[in-house]
Amino acid sequence: MGVRVGIVGAGHCRFGNSSEYDVVDVIGYSVNAAFRDAGGIHLRKEVDQVFVGNMASGLFNRETAVASALVSRMDMEPCPAELVENGPASGASAVKMGYMCVASGLADVVLVAAGEVMRSVTGWESTDIVATMAHKEAEYNMGLTLPGFAGMVTRLYMEKYGMTERDLALVAVKDHANGAKNTYAHVQIPVTIDAIADGPNASVVNNYVAEPLRMYSTCPVSDGSAAIILVNMDSPKAKLFKRKPVRIAGIGSATDTHCVHNRKDPLVLDAVRLSAEKAYKMAGIGPKDISFAELHDAFVIFELMNSEEVGFFERGKSFLAVRNHETDIDGRLPINPSGGLKAKGHPVGATGVSQVFELVRQLRGEAEEGRQVKDPKYGMAVNFGGFGNNVITTILARD
Amino acid sequence: MAIDELEKKLRPPEAQLAPYPSKVITLASGETMVVRECRREDTPALLGTVYPLIGVAKDYYDVVATRMYNEILSWFRYRIANMFALVGTVNGEIAGIVTSRHVDSKVGMSLHTLAIKRGLRVGAQLFAAKMEHHLEYLKEDEVWVVAESPIGFKRWMIEYELEDRSALYPAVRHELGGVPTFVLTRKLWDAVKAAKCTGSRPVPAELLKTADKLIMPNEYVQLPGWKRNS
Amino acid sequence: MIDFSAYGEQTPHIKGIRCGKCGAVYYPAPMVCGKCDALRDPTTNKGWEEFDLDGACTLLTWTRVWNLPEGFNKKYLLFGMVEFENGLRASGRIEMEGDPKSGMKLTARAIEADERPGKPVKVLVFS
Repeated sequence: MGVRVGIVGAGHCRFGNSSEYDVVDVIGYSVNAAFRDAGGIHLRKEVDQVFVGNMASGLFNRETAVASALVSRMDMEPCPAELVENGPASGASAVKMGYMCVASGLADVVLVAAGEVMRSVTGWESTDIVATMAHKEAEYNMGLTLPGFAGMVTRLYMEKYGMTERDLALVAVKDHANGAKNTYAHVQIPVTIDAIADGPNASVVNNYVAEPLRMYSTCPVSDGSAAIILVNMDSPKAKLFKRKPVRIAGIGSATDTHCVHNRKDPLVLDAVRLSAEKAYKMAGIGPKDISFAELHDAFVIFELMNSEEVGFFERGKSFLAVRNHETDIDGRLPINPSGGLKAKGHPVGATGVSQVFELVRQLRGEAEEGRQVKDPKYGMAVNFGGFGNNVITTILARD
Repeated sequence: MAIDELEKKLRPPEAQLAPYPSKVITLASGETMVVRECRREDTPALLGTVYPLIGVAKDYYDVVATRMYNEILSWFRYRIANMFALVGTVNGEIAGIVTSRHVDSKVGMSLHTLAIKRGLRVGAQLFAAKMEHHLEYLKEDEVWVVAESPIGFKRWMIEYELEDRSALYPAVRHELGGVPTFVLTRKLWDAVKAAKCTGSRPVPAELLKTADKLIMPNEYVQLPGWKRNS
Repeated sequence: MIDFSAYGEQTPHIKGIRCGKCGAVYYPAPMVCGKCDALRDPTTNKGWEEFDLDGACTLLTWTRVWNLPEGFNKKYLLFGMVEFENGLRASGRIEMEGDPKSGMKLTARAIEADERPGKPVKVLVFS
């Protein structure tokens, strides 16, 4: 059996608008919270390695090398520190690097922090910056953006499987119901199906963003950060931390074609399926063992497609499960109990660590009343880099 | 009340404006927002609502709030001609305010849009209501619009595809200080109104009653930590 | 030698590319042929053959984007994903009145666009 890697501290800030703060301070806020959770800020001196997930502070904030800045701001020199960039999956990639670092024996304690301050620019500029991860000549130059691709894929899905716009709205209603109870969520407002789909004002209140996707089918632009502390559970250092470790049971990642049009079927997310298969294999479990999942839903269609690719539902059937409330917080398999990217927000580089933070809270039984999953054993997080072309699946276990 | 001769001379000529019929919009949260025309007796609540925002530089709330305070005050004290204000209320509490002016039978002059409740497109709904009043009830041919914030520019100029008349300056000159003038013509309005303007009429009497006496917000997301009576 | 053609009026083209060794076609150009492992030198394209990506195509899916990125001062733009007769696929803009329909036949051409700062870029337009 290899090295057991566990999470002994987790911190998060409330997602939203932090544009008046420096991105390094925003990340530092969650780092402080993670150390407080782990037993005290003095524990930072025990850290052997820092990984920071961030997608584009160079573009959003004109700040680079934020990992170096963070260790200095946190008084952690000379601790080694590196930045991990994998688009909107930078956070999960940083977790993966942290895991690899501990599992390899290179470090016993690793701090993984991630953050993004996107609202330093206008919404139109941030849409443009995020779009830079698309293929430069064949996608970005055309004026295509992530919402544009999500709109096209959603239409394909609707035409093939008979899903309706109302089904998309049902996902949003579920996610917002959870997000409304999440202290850390950007949007803590529940939405109703009547208001965003059925009622006479719905088409204006829930306006189109990229047809057939509407405003409540897409995530908000958010700032925020999250941090976790990983330890080698079998090392003497593990005893320094007061929290019982939540074990990383499996991590898998995979890539897909950069251009969306070059996939055999744009409705098939190979990288999600393959990353999940690897994570299941490493954890020695299957989809039926998962108690709840945080699935990357920058657009609600992703939550549905991800839930099919990871094996929860048959292809083309996930929206029926949403209709039947199977993915509600008290359903058979709660999905996005945090509110997901849809309601909690999506500070791109932070999201992967934020998802893992949510898994930790749920597995410890520390989520707020009304959104705590009942007696969870395994939690899964799927984090997308690009338009599903670089995906990390992480499974945590409560031992 | 008798008005002295000098005061009479100071007051602008007033036209009898067609009233704006109240409507109700169900916001995404499921809350209902009543949109109605402001009355003179609303003035204290309107001013009290706008006032705390005059120091908020973010998103140009300071510019919009100071100007709107002035407009409402000037309207109350008869120093601006043919102005109207619409207010959006949720459970009686003011969620947003818009101001505008009827210039003549051809032209409406859009003044300001102030969203207090955020995240539910209250500002967009109230701006659309204002345009609706100009073009559907006051029956003007067009509305002149300027933007004082980048978000306003994107929302109004681009989403409504307003006609850019800035090249005609100074012949075409919006009253708000020569900022480039854009125009919502009837043709442009007809092209966007189904997507931008909504609401149900008549407002049920009980619901309308909740908006009768305006309630000032106690807290503002724009002013973290601020409370009205603390 | 000076390339005097550079001074003429340029008609924009978007290029697909064919592997000279096995004939596989690609868009956009890869650095290595996925079928036969032939390498492509992007400075010369030696051994590979470029061709215009235009003409008849079939619309696979489309969207109308209302929230365009910075620089695009338009109410909305239509975008689509198409398949050409040679099996290549591409994404680009659609120009037409009303709503497109998945499966409809379109014609692709390239234009130059300059909404963003910097040099104009080539854009595929389906109409």
